[in-house]
Amino acid sequence: MAAAATLLAAGTLAACSGGSGSTTSGSKTLRVLIAAPQEGAGKALQADYEKSTGTKVKITVVPYDQIQTKAILDAQSGANQYDVIQYWYTSVGALAQADALDDLTGWVDKDKDIDKSDFIAPIYNAYTQYKGKTYGLPFDGDTHLLYYNKKILADNGVKPPTTWDEYLADVKKITDANKSKGIYGAVMMGDKSAFNIGSTFFNRLATFSSSPIDSQKPDLTSPAALAAAKSMVDAAPYTAPSPSQIGFDQALALFLSGKIGMMEAWTDLGTFAQDPSQSKIADNWGAVPLPAGAGGKTAAPLDAGWALGVSPSAPDQDAAKDFVKFATSKAENLKLVTTTGSGVDPTRTSTLESDKYKSFTPVVAAALTQILGNAQSWPTSPNAPKMIQSLNDNLAQMLQGSLTPQQALDATEKAWDAL
Amino acid sequence: MTTAAPVPTSADGPRRHRLIGWALIAPALAAVAIIAAYPLVYTVLVSFSKSTLGRPFQSWVGWGQIVTAFTDGGQLASILRSLEFAVPAAVLSVVIGLVIALSLDTATRGGRVVRVIMLLPLMTPPVMAGVIWKLMFAPTGGLFNDLLAGAGLISEPVLFLGASPAAMICLIVVDIWQWTPFCVLLIFAALQSMPREVYEAAQVDGAGVWRTFRSVTFPLVLPSLVTVLMLKVIVSFKVFDLVFVMTSGGPGLDTNVASFNVYRTALQQFDLGAAGAQTIAFIVLVTIVVLPIATWRSRLLKAGSRA
Repeated sequence: MAAAATLLAAGTLAACSGGSGSTTSGSKTLRVLIAAPQEGAGKALQADYEKSTGTKVKITVVPYDQIQTKAILDAQSGANQYDVIQYWYTSVGALAQADALDDLTGWVDKDKDIDKSDFIAPIYNAYTQYKGKTYGLPFDGDTHLLYYNKKILADNGVKPPTTWDEYLADVKKITDANKSKGIYGAVMMGDKSAFNIGSTFFNRLATFSSSPIDSQKPDLTSPAALAAAKSMVDAAPYTAPSPSQIGFDQALALFLSGKIGMMEAWTDLGTFAQDPSQSKIADNWGAVPLPAGAGGKTAAPLDAGWALGVSPSAPDQDAAKDFVKFATSKAENLKLVTTTGSGVDPTRTSTLESDKYKSFTPVVAAALTQILGNAQSWPTSPNAPKMIQSLNDNLAQMLQGSLTPQQALDATEKAWDAL
Repeated sequence: MTTAAPVPTSADGPRRHRLIGWALIAPALAAVAIIAAYPLVYTVLVSFSKSTLGRPFQSWVGWGQIVTAFTDGGQLASILRSLEFAVPAAVLSVVIGLVIALSLDTATRGGRVVRVIMLLPLMTPPVMAGVIWKLMFAPTGGLFNDLLAGAGLISEPVLFLGASPAAMICLIVVDIWQWTPFCVLLIFAALQSMPREVYEAAQVDGAGVWRTFRSVTFPLVLPSLVTVLMLKVIVSFKVFDLVFVMTSGGPGLDTNVASFNVYRTALQQFDLGAAGAQTIAFIVLVTIVVLPIATWRSRLLKAGSRA
């Protein structure tokens, strides 16, 4: 019955109708739905926009995996609780198909202030496009780099790897020599949530592939996909125990404690690593692009990443669009990217090229500039949530040892074909 | 001119009483219809339709999803995992609860303090309990691994939540920790209500502690034990928060119990139709397990009232 009640709660909210009674235009308050990992950025944005325009902003923060549910239920129920919706870009197709995002094509094309050509092209396309229409603007351009602990690598005679083969050899060498002291060559995010095990796989898929990943349906039958999966299985035994229990929070804590040689992580990790109040490796870390696989080249897998869209039921569409334009503007992107703790990464070429960004985090900026030209998207079709979950399930079973890499990919391919 | 008030006939009385009875029970019936019947009807309807969160009731799909829910390997495995979790968790909670309740029943001093302390796990929010235990089970920096390593018993961390069957066992242990106080309370209340003269008679007959328990206490408390067992089985089948926080259904899918699977299908894959069908399969399982216990309980209660 509890499960039935859960379903009912989801279903009836979607089915019932009625308005919230709250209007945007009357009180000049914009209601913005923000994902929990972006709370810091949301608060900064709120302050900036209120100061700049005088319009009040009400931020609602929800766990990242509930954004899609909230947005769809809000649109379907007619509750109209949000004017602006922040979404994980992989859900752009699902949200557009469910009529939870407004078609912004005409506005984005006409409004020259937006300057859409300044957005980093692969990010703009992946984050906003569905069936040739534009449903949002990029806000946070997330990707992974390979971070390393300088001392651990130097102590073990290891240089930052440029290929996954080198990475495996280095991780093994460090772990074998230091495991008794609680030091490991790497930490692998193998927790089943999409941002963890999914990122670990896409880091390898993007860098083993010689051709771009198909964002409608990545080719899991390719040798590159198999090599990517095998790379995870090969490295897992030598990483900090146990990958299946390690998400970003656990991995970050281990890396900052100075016990981990290497960690794949988002570009804002540098600000954590350099903060002595929470890091034992300040001034003792570096970052390089992810290693390349055999036959592939280094890349920027678009792990996570957020965009802002407008709810079709927003009473004041112009006000909502104005907020989206402000939040994704050149000035705001540069400001948030150079604010410690905002968690926002570059979405615009002008940010990447700015001296302010380069001096704020020179190591990360240098690495990022090398790879963003080869940014690779996760699935973004309406089936993306199901595709990502079935992939994660099978990868988790692979790490656990109950499926081989080939079996995990075959099972995922079969599940995707059924969709 | 006056008119005489109509005198109620003998047939009007029972009819009026029936109407009043129905009127009095109507709010309760309405509540049951809203709380129990409506979700069930909605779930049944949605399970026969292609429904996503964004677009419910797109088309009718017949029995396809129901058949899949009863035959799909992954779904059946999640149902079996619920059984693997619920039965040992419930039985052990009741057994341990009985032992503690008997101890409290015979305690002459400090019983009240112990009872209050016992309630702490029950009062801890399940999510917080899950987080605390997850930290204690952690391979790096976790309490248990540190203790084992400190005692020189292990050279490598034990993967409590990262290996099977350890992860499922850990979930069962935490569930028992959390729900045993609930069982203790109910069993203790049952023990307190037992007739003291029966014990006095047993003492006069020279019965020892074990004989008194086997021949007096256990038969008298058995109906209550079965009632507690039934409640605990139902509660255990519904486990969600501990799985969500501690294992997310892993390692692999080894703790992906049915309730968690329904959540994933409905609110992560947004497939309401499939989730509805899975819910029906889950309800059937719970009914199959709970029905014999309920029947056993009824028989015990009837036997007790006859005696």
